[in-house]
Amino acid sequence: MKSITLYVDNHTYLTGLHPYTKLFYVLTAIAVPLLCGRLWVFGAFIAASILMLISAKLLRKAVPLIIFSFTILITIFLIHGLFYTRNENPLFRIGPLLFYQEGVLYAVRIGLNILNMLLSFATFVLSTKPSDLVEELEKSGFSKRFGYIINSVFQIIPQMTGTMNTIMDAQRSRGMNTEGNLIVRAKAFIPLISPVIMSSLINTRERAVALEVRGFDSKEKKTFLYDRPKKKADITLILFFALLIIIATVWRITLWLP
Amino acid sequence: MAPLIEVKNLKYRYPHTKELALNDISFTIERGEFIGIIGANGAGKSTLTQAFMGLVPQFYKGAYGGSVLINGMDASKTPVSTLCKTAGLVFQNPFNQLSGAKDTVYDEIAFGLQNLGICREEMVKRIDDALNLLEISQFRDRNPFDLSGGQMQRVAIASILVMQPDIMILDEPTSQLDPAGTEEVFRAVDRLVKSGKTILMVEQKLETLASYCDKLLLLSKGSLVAFDTPQSVFSRDDLMFFGVQAPSFTRISKALDLKLSDGNYPATLDELVSLKDRLVSPTEVSKNISVQTVDEAPVYSIKQMSFSYLADTPLITGCNLTFDSRSTAIIGQNGAGKTTLVKLLKGLLKPVSGKIYYGDKDIADMTVAMLADEVGYIFQNPDDQIFKSRVLDEVMFGPLNIGMSKEEAKQKSLAALELAGLPDCADTNPYDLELSQRKMVAIASVIAMDTKVIIFDEPTIAQDYEGKERIKSMIRSLSDAGKLVIAILHDMDFVAECFERVIVMAKGKVLADATPSEVFAMPDVLVEARLVLPHVTALCHTLGFEQTYLTVEELLNLYHK
Amino acid sequence: MKKIFSTKWNAATVVLIPVCIGINFLGKLFASTLKLPLWLDSIGTCIGAILGGPIIGGLCGAINNLVYGLIIGDNITIIYLFTSLGIGVATGIMARLGFMKTFLKSLLTACVAGLVAVVISTPLNVIFWGGTTGNVWGDALFAYTQANNMPVFLGSFLDEVVVDVPDKLITLIIVYLICLALPKKLTSLYEADAEIERLD
Repeated sequence: MKSITLYVDNHTYLTGLHPYTKLFYVLTAIAVPLLCGRLWVFGAFIAASILMLISAKLLRKAVPLIIFSFTILITIFLIHGLFYTRNENPLFRIGPLLFYQEGVLYAVRIGLNILNMLLSFATFVLSTKPSDLVEELEKSGFSKRFGYIINSVFQIIPQMTGTMNTIMDAQRSRGMNTEGNLIVRAKAFIPLISPVIMSSLINTRERAVALEVRGFDSKEKKTFLYDRPKKKADITLILFFALLIIIATVWRITLWLP
Repeated sequence: MAPLIEVKNLKYRYPHTKELALNDISFTIERGEFIGIIGANGAGKSTLTQAFMGLVPQFYKGAYGGSVLINGMDASKTPVSTLCKTAGLVFQNPFNQLSGAKDTVYDEIAFGLQNLGICREEMVKRIDDALNLLEISQFRDRNPFDLSGGQMQRVAIASILVMQPDIMILDEPTSQLDPAGTEEVFRAVDRLVKSGKTILMVEQKLETLASYCDKLLLLSKGSLVAFDTPQSVFSRDDLMFFGVQAPSFTRISKALDLKLSDGNYPATLDELVSLKDRLVSPTEVSKNISVQTVDEAPVYSIKQMSFSYLADTPLITGCNLTFDSRSTAIIGQNGAGKTTLVKLLKGLLKPVSGKIYYGDKDIADMTVAMLADEVGYIFQNPDDQIFKSRVLDEVMFGPLNIGMSKEEAKQKSLAALELAGLPDCADTNPYDLELSQRKMVAIASVIAMDTKVIIFDEPTIAQDYEGKERIKSMIRSLSDAGKLVIAILHDMDFVAECFERVIVMAKGKVLADATPSEVFAMPDVLVEARLVLPHVTALCHTLGFEQTYLTVEELLNLYHK
Repeated sequence: MKKIFSTKWNAATVVLIPVCIGINFLGKLFASTLKLPLWLDSIGTCIGAILGGPIIGGLCGAINNLVYGLIIGDNITIIYLFTSLGIGVATGIMARLGFMKTFLKSLLTACVAGLVAVVISTPLNVIFWGGTTGNVWGDALFAYTQANNMPVFLGSFLDEVVVDVPDKLITLIIVYLICLALPKKLTSLYEADAEIERLD
């Protein structure tokens, strides 16, 4: 079955870190620049994330995650560079388009924020097995129902996409067209999606029975098969990230004080 | 000691329904017994199994009366999570009974133990034991959803077994499996029996069930008809009235009046063979096996055709076949290339090399849409195509797509529904029907398109005796109407009774292509394709007959001459 | 009030949520496969809300975005977690109030869900994207408002209305048709007030 998660265990230090450590990095990378508000801090974290991705041999896999945001970033540059309501000082001109300093600066800030978020998330997403994270969360007291839901999504989506191909074949066999003008395609939507929705909803009945007979509603405290102790590096890193957040918060408060 | 299971005046009605699903049922089961549960679809078999687990009524709600005591616990009030330590349930669809949240077989089996809070050392020990018992150790790190049906079903049994219930309840565990998967599961059941568990098993394969069980529970329309030894239940004259056909061995003995010492007819092969001395050997006439030659132009001709998704794993290699108007069954294990072959015939896949001609046209030049009004294909799972909320609309969808007028489509659809045994269901919501009826809707929706070729992919899944008979008569009448019927099948008795030609496939190759009598007389081919004989054929072999007989009728004809 | 939010917490509802998230995913996938100019990515959330009530609906929405954002790598969606949650809760409340019973009433539900989505998304769009939504038609309108010196907030609001309301209309029409076809034996699993009746 084709997995929809992006994680592959490539045996680098990053996959070896505890999921919480990486999650905490994401939090730090997003919070600190927003607290400081300086553009260079965004740049610093973007650089840090890129370095992490390179050293963990994940940069190439991160590229597709970043690329799809480019069209949005370009739209933002165009709209704000040209039409931002506080635009006053012209910056440069491309043909008939006049870009303003204020708008471009505003767009740069938005763009850096987004890039920073995407890259820091990428370090986490590409190097962490979702079910490991879920199991750690359950151990820390999250409900096992929540854990089940998350894990189950990863199994269900590939199954449903697989069913979609069969349905496509079944309906085409009955003479339905899936190509043509917008009306033809729109008409095909219901015959294609309806069977998969209905059958997966109907299957929930059996799946729920399957969970019931395996003691899912048991009141016992759940036990686990695996241990994932935090290593020394994990603890050091978490302390370091906490320190960064504290410094940034203090800095923010001093800015507010007269 | 009190009985392990005690059912008293059990009544149950599902919410929003009027009829009782279980009507005043009482019986007791002792520790260590193997009980078979039989009956037509809708008799209440699954509902009864769910009542043992407390799912009826705790999970489904509805209306409940009487009592079910499982080892002294009241099943209507004890939480399912407590009952599941005493009784375990495995059901039909291997896919839906996996937790769906674990990505290895090992973790999947651990799921129930984690919920029950079993400590790690104990978990590891129990999982290893179960992996060995069910012979699935080699799959421990695989994703359970990547396994075959039979393997998946054994994972499901293992994941219940580790919870160490005294009672194992199996609800048609083999109904959706191929012959090899069925055999694997029955071997696992055999091991469970030897381990001394109390087993309750719902099953349509009566020949096999009879060889295992101590007692049979026959249900009909929610009521308990009989609770007795298989021999005595199968000897009943009114069995057909409850929608159950006795095993072939019982039918043969009955026709030849061969009784066991207790006055009942034999239910299993061994019992019948034990009466061998009283079975006069019939005079065998050598059957004139003439190679049928059909003069007409072939419907399909396949020339040196190969197919693969990936270059290094060929699915079909060097296939040469022609199809004429004879009804043809394609048999073989899952993965033998049967479905791939029919998808190629339907134009859903294109050959990698070689040619397929439909009439004199190369299929490579035709689109699925162009073939739609020539070739009908009924997919295995009806839920992959149903999308309308009215049966008639669903059936009319195909005919309208291929350009029939509204009146014509309606008329053809109503005729197809009649043929499929659903004449009163035109206005019903298909999802209110049972799976076996939804399958009939899917069949009708393709028949209504009135195509020249009709391909069935495992039509007998989930059908009971009556449903199978209906499909047989449909196949015959379509064939009589001059259509080419091609069917992929796992039920050898069905193949023996219904088809003029059989194609055996294994590992992407055609191993044999002949009449049913010829194919079932080829032991090497059947072994290579891992197929079993029809029950009657197996009996004749054991009795040392020279010729191959396929059906009860064919065998009895010898005696009536 | 209590009845509107009452929720059944058993295996059936737990299993329903991942299926709904899968349906969201497929809706989006089919819409893009068929090149339809809509998102159709909240069909599952709405079905979850109608079957399980506003709380299940909200959870479907929130967990949906959490999973895509945190784990599948479509990080942008995590920003819109609250939008999805809002759509789920709003649809759930409307359904419990009986606004999914007829076709016309379901159109009203669609408008409510659409507006809730707009109200929650607009500030998020302004904070994270400076007001754009990533949809060509909506963004063209936004550019027009900005060129005419309208406030960012108003422009972004209009941008979102143009995108979200039609999308939710189509979504809920599909959901309405699907819910019509759902068999009783399935919907009865989610009835929060079902009791066991005694027959003896």
